[in-house]
Amino acid sequence: MADDVIFDLLHSEIVAFLHRTTEKDNQDQCINKLESLGFRIGQSIVERFTKESPRFKDDLDIMKFICKEFWSAVFKKQVDNLRTNHQGVYVLQDNKFRFLTQMSSGKQYMEVAPKYLAMSCGVIRGALANIGINSVITAEVSAMPSCKFQIQLQRT
Amino acid sequence: MTIYNLYIFDRIGTCLYYGEWNRKKQSGMPRDEEFKLMYGMLFSIKSFVTRISPTDVKDGFLNFKTSKFRLHLYETASGLKFVLNTDLSVGSVKDVLHEIYRTIYVEYVVKNPECDLTRTIDAELFKQKLEDYVRALPIFASRTDGII
Repeated sequence: MADDVIFDLLHSEIVAFLHRTTEKDNQDQCINKLESLGFRIGQSIVERFTKESPRFKDDLDIMKFICKEFWSAVFKKQVDNLRTNHQGVYVLQDNKFRFLTQMSSGKQYMEVAPKYLAMSCGVIRGALANIGINSVITAEVSAMPSCKFQIQLQRT
Repeated sequence: MTIYNLYIFDRIGTCLYYGEWNRKKQSGMPRDEEFKLMYGMLFSIKSFVTRISPTDVKDGFLNFKTSKFRLHLYETASGLKFVLNTDLSVGSVKDVLHEIYRTIYVEYVVKNPECDLTRTIDAELFKQKLEDYVRALPIFASRTDGII
């Protein structure tokens, strides 16, 4: 069983590598690249995890799957808080996000936190896309290591 | 039983962290000179000990003591040196320094993507965890005569 720390270290290095190798004026593209990286990963992961599960009944069911099984497999814990406005917008709150716990607990490094959330946003978006839902995902951090992912579903 | 201060040096001699708890007398020289002096001394003592040792060297230099304090050194395989100054009643702190390395340095500095391992440590989480850990040690009981 591979040690989880390898993924944490790889993730940190992917973020650092992308920022090191893009020119100064293209820095904001890094977030998009990280997100697309994550998208592809999310697509494959969800195929693997839902191999044996039955079809999902509705959107809420899908979100519960994301909050419990998916989050435990990828981020080693379940989502702490799920809120929705029942119109397709869901807010997932994780109070000890995997990639932020070692960075700080409070205000330090908050400006750089988005870099480390981009790939995870992509993973979730990829997972939902492969289940059949297009979505728009944004992440925000108000106090490390807790962060909120806002997912807007776009069902036709 | 007290802990006076702690230095963390990397492989080339940069002082990554300095923590002070009960230091009663300052050295009278600017901090960076003190760090260079400390590192140079440790380097010389370690090589002296391995050369002069009359028997086979097992662990090399571990600590030295004066009439007032004891200086402990813990060196990791990656060349990181943890130096702790304590008073004389403290025995071996090898496990303490090993714990600090394993559970605090590795967790909050090595795994922190924002931390540059070759420069002084800025991460507040590391400093806070280290403070909490040191203050909770049984060998830390600080004297209650007002000196922090």
